[in-house]
Amino acid sequence: MTSGRGLREAVSASRVTSRLPHLPVPRLRGRFRRRGLLAFLAVMGPGLIAGVAGNDAGGLTTYSVMGAETGLTLLWIFPITILILAVVQEMVARLGVITGQGLSDLIRERFGVRWTAFAMVVLLVANVANTIANLAGAAAALDIFGVPKWLTVPVVAVAIWGLVLFASYRIVERVFLGVMVVFLAYPVAAVLATPDWTPVARAFVTPSLSMNPTTLLLMVAVVGTTITPYMQFYLQSAVAEKGIGEEELRLEQADAVAGSVWTNLIAVFIVVAAAAATAGLGVTISSAADAAQALEPVAGPWAEALFGIGLFGASVLAATIMPISTAFVICEAFGWESGVGKRFGDAPIFFGIYTFVLAVGAVLVLLVAESALVPIIVGSQNLQGLLLPVVLVFLVLLVNDRRLMGGHANGRWTNLLAWGSVIVVIALDAVMLGVALLGSLGVSLG
Amino acid sequence: MRFLSQSIGLPVRDPSGEPIGVIADLIVAIGNRYPPVTGLVARTDRRLIHLPWRNVEHLDDGGATLRVPTIDIGKFRQRQDEILLKQDLLDKQIVDIEGRKVIRVNDVSLDEVGRGLRVVAVDVGAAGLLRRMGVEGPARRVARGLGRAVPERYIDWEDVDPLEGTIASVRLRVPHARLAQLHPADLASIIEELTPRDRLGVLGVLNDEAFADVVEEMEPDTQVEVLEDLEPARAADILEEMSPDDAADLVADLSDRSRDEILALMEADEAAEVRDLLAFPEDSAGGLMTTELVAVPETMTASQAIERLRELEPDAETIYYVYVVDNDDRLVGVLSLRDLIVAQPDTPIAEVMIKEPVAVGVLEPAESVAETIAHYNLLAIPVVDDAGRLAGIVTVDDAIDTVAPSAWRRRLPRVFSRAQHDPGPGGEPMAAAGRRAGGSRR
Repeated sequence: MTSGRGLREAVSASRVTSRLPHLPVPRLRGRFRRRGLLAFLAVMGPGLIAGVAGNDAGGLTTYSVMGAETGLTLLWIFPITILILAVVQEMVARLGVITGQGLSDLIRERFGVRWTAFAMVVLLVANVANTIANLAGAAAALDIFGVPKWLTVPVVAVAIWGLVLFASYRIVERVFLGVMVVFLAYPVAAVLATPDWTPVARAFVTPSLSMNPTTLLLMVAVVGTTITPYMQFYLQSAVAEKGIGEEELRLEQADAVAGSVWTNLIAVFIVVAAAAATAGLGVTISSAADAAQALEPVAGPWAEALFGIGLFGASVLAATIMPISTAFVICEAFGWESGVGKRFGDAPIFFGIYTFVLAVGAVLVLLVAESALVPIIVGSQNLQGLLLPVVLVFLVLLVNDRRLMGGHANGRWTNLLAWGSVIVVIALDAVMLGVALLGSLGVSLG
Repeated sequence: MRFLSQSIGLPVRDPSGEPIGVIADLIVAIGNRYPPVTGLVARTDRRLIHLPWRNVEHLDDGGATLRVPTIDIGKFRQRQDEILLKQDLLDKQIVDIEGRKVIRVNDVSLDEVGRGLRVVAVDVGAAGLLRRMGVEGPARRVARGLGRAVPERYIDWEDVDPLEGTIASVRLRVPHARLAQLHPADLASIIEELTPRDRLGVLGVLNDEAFADVVEEMEPDTQVEVLEDLEPARAADILEEMSPDDAADLVADLSDRSRDEILALMEADEAAEVRDLLAFPEDSAGGLMTTELVAVPETMTASQAIERLRELEPDAETIYYVYVVDNDDRLVGVLSLRDLIVAQPDTPIAEVMIKEPVAVGVLEPAESVAETIAHYNLLAIPVVDDAGRLAGIVTVDDAIDTVAPSAWRRRLPRVFSRAQHDPGPGGEPMAAAGRRAGGSRR
């Protein structure tokens, strides 16, 4: 560009008019204009997507089982999970906006190799479990249409493996959100099946703590599926990737909180619909077809098909994002080459992790009996709940680091909420483990 | 040779051999070819203390021994050119200048040079990771048992460019001297991988012209992020240095507020040029064109025209064609550089020029502009308005970008591309040629 200005001046001199002729053409350029609602929607993304992604096979199944087995009795847990999820997602979003880095990068930079290895093993286990849940979800969904598991799982796994390598991640994300529209059937079903909302409202404010191991397991599963470790890594990477600046922090915080409320709201409707369908009789859900009964008020004879489509879509798309994001997060932490655009030889570990997560998930689902699919899904969400505290502790420590966050570090009140959330989750996990341990020793508290 | 990870935590002893604490960090002065250790940070029972290197007798696997009995526990003030190896470098990202990518530091390798200890390389390989986890020895034995070696990778400090970092203890002034010498396209792809703070740290050392070259090579989203993070006045300076068509593309993507603010700070004529270009739809000839071109009156002779070229020193992509305009600025002909050089010096250019040259209208769709360029094998095509006046030119590299946008090209899976022998119109070879044409002007 050495000659840029000189050239233009000289050209002006040699040309009669240097300026362009003014044409009556409106200004049509600009790929994105951000104004008002549009500005909100432009930023309104990562948090809402993470929130919606919470309602995958794990969420849908766990909430259905909860409604069927315990009716409305555990609804009081949702105000708590809304609060915890909102607190957590807000911190994650803030961390992403201020540092512009992913969660695994920050864990590596702040805590060194050993802690990073620990965190990544935890995440790997959690995500493999979630991949299992979603592949099991896909199998359970197609079971409704009579497609056997041994056909569904390999086909879906191979299709996903190829899809991520060939399709843009953004497209996958869009389709993911699109299928989630099916979940809107739940509020309708819940409303149609529930003539009187007084018991529902009462259930919200009536905590009933039971020492029954099954109930405790369900509670941990609900916490685990609502506040998945994977979501936190996803959200922060998405926020950092989008390059959301400090000036848009408020919008992004609103987005994160909105996502948390949304995911819990849908969860509540699923529980209410499932509870209504089984009249709160403590029915055991052993297949996707059982869970589909909750949608009968909306879809009548089509309930199974509707449920099957929703579950299949949610499962496949979550199973698509899970392995690839695992590979990205781990490679970022250790500084290994990553990216779907790379050749195998350039990023062997990246493709290795990606393939490993998907393959392990597929093989494990193939090994279990068809009747074990639903318990497997709920069990994997239990594991999410047990691993969650690890991620939360890292998160709260990071967001309190003033060198990292400056004036955006947690204040006293935020910290009270943050550590309070961590303690609640740890306490719930500890009680569940304790009761399970006692149970295995033959002592029963329930 | 020793590693940072093996030095941290070793005891620090006074001359009588009494332990007074453990090594918490090493301080080095960067800016040197191999940065010397200038001191160490020791953790005693109560606090962190700073020990200048001249007070250290030696440092080996048994720890550090001091040469002075009493130590001055003055508060450690980090100088501008000093970094703490553990706090500022370990586990952080650096730029590997030779490999042209951003990479994470697993360990730091130090070597004794004379009496001093210097940083010689950073460890970015698997061996470093294993060492940090405390399993390097066992892992090496296992690997040997399998007849393989643990992969090791070091980057010589000369090829390392440290970044300001998110957790830098002071606002470091990293010179980024070698980084700044990279080709703008390489630097741009490195910048894409950095966090916003690191981006500005690296770009901050560049002058406006070099900065603008790098910005032109970035992805549109990154361009917007970088420019909106700058002081508006600096952003205006950068835009002035960019070619008007690239500047207009970028300005179009800015938020309304930044756009008005930055345009107001640009020099009036440059801002006007950008505003004019903004009036055209992005996918039209007007949206693609640049107003940087060489135009001469038809009354000139060949030698006068060559003299004009010499004065203007146009860029590579615009030097090959000289456009000839009449008194009303209407395009009447075109001369190739070859025509000018082989013509007798005093021949009027009107005699050697190609009359009624191929041109496109300002509102011609981008696709057909690209087709026309490809059809006639042109390096650039003139763009004229309704009255036939020369408005600008579309260069071949910009035309190719419309057929194969670079962002899209990068997103293409390349996993199996070795098997693809026919890259088609959007494939790599043609795109690469476009890049070269754009890049060789520097």
